[in-house]
Amino acid sequence: MAEKQYQRLTRGYPRSGFAVAFASRVSLWLGPDHLLQVDNSGYTETYKRFHFQDIQAIIVRKTKRFMIWNVILALPACASLLAMLPNLNGPHRSEPMTITCGVIAGLFLFFLLINLALGPTCTCLLQTAVQTEEIPALRRARKTRKILNRIYPLITAAQAGEVRPPIAPTAGAAAPPAETPPIKMTPDPAPDPMVPPPRAG
Amino acid sequence: MANAAIYCPECRAELASDVVHQPEFAPCPACGVALQLSVFPAIHRRQAAGSSGERIMVDGESSCFYHPLKKAVLPCDGCGRFLCALCDCPLEGKHFCTNCLETGRTKGTIKSLDNQRTLYGDLAIALAVAPLLIFYLTIVTAPAALFIAIRYWKSPQSLVRPNRIRYGIAIVVALLEIAGWATLFVVLATRHHTTHG
Repeated sequence: MAEKQYQRLTRGYPRSGFAVAFASRVSLWLGPDHLLQVDNSGYTETYKRFHFQDIQAIIVRKTKRFMIWNVILALPACASLLAMLPNLNGPHRSEPMTITCGVIAGLFLFFLLINLALGPTCTCLLQTAVQTEEIPALRRARKTRKILNRIYPLITAAQAGEVRPPIAPTAGAAAPPAETPPIKMTPDPAPDPMVPPPRAG
Repeated sequence: MANAAIYCPECRAELASDVVHQPEFAPCPACGVALQLSVFPAIHRRQAAGSSGERIMVDGESSCFYHPLKKAVLPCDGCGRFLCALCDCPLEGKHFCTNCLETGRTKGTIKSLDNQRTLYGDLAIALAVAPLLIFYLTIVTAPAALFIAIRYWKSPQSLVRPNRIRYGIAIVVALLEIAGWATLFVVLATRHHTTHG
């Protein structure tokens, strides 16, 4: 038991979205000075370590998978409910049909509710000096944010001694191209209620 | 070496690499994809240029074990051989030669290089339990599960879920299956003996 030094951050997720049963599962663990990505293929575990000292950036991108799954699950649920309606009352009343449609609708609604409860999806990229690696275990924005808030102070503490390089360029060093300055990202500004929105046209 | 840059994963536009922690998603100014950035001071770290090692200029200077014409700068923490700057592989505050790194990786003596483990406990339990659906298979799989559980009892386990309970379960189930087969054979042999004797 002396070897147990990792805390689980996420449970195992299949690497690809549709391979559920037989694909390897990826989970993320927190070690003393690194993140450990565990790729479990059933009878072997492959490890990838991301030391806090080496992490340059974590980029989280929102994806449309959440909406796609909502549509995929909502459409059959609605169709089953619609098919169930004529069978509830009226001349074509059929109890087995009602039960069948109800069960199908309930099943899809159950998974739809789970998807809604888990929240929006995302992909998470972790950048170091030598690679930019996708972390498949981080695929829900809410969970990812929670984990990032947990590891952010650890990474900052591990890189506390880092100093920024001098701003003045050294002799002979190539100046960065002026025509393509890096894009500064700013959060969405909150709309000012006093300023009317611009008119179209 | 220039500082690293951060790119939008969607449109590959370069994003500002100021040290920042965005608590919320913000649109990429180039393509509008919602991004959340956390940039750390390591982005500004300059990568040290590699050294090829100095040549020996004075007689009597210690030379590298692998490059006799190069000056030794330190001994390997694994084998004690003298190493030049080219052969020195620093790892977690220690210095190793490439041979010791390879040995440490294959034998698992350097924990941070250990990047794969076989889960013999899971394998043994699968061999013991899964064939129960087709019981006849257990005549082969039960001894195999027993062998694996005993043979690899002391082998390195999962880094994140180390326990030997699976080995124990596999041994118990395999022994029960073997006992079942032994009982069956004894009963059949006794019946055969009584009918033909």
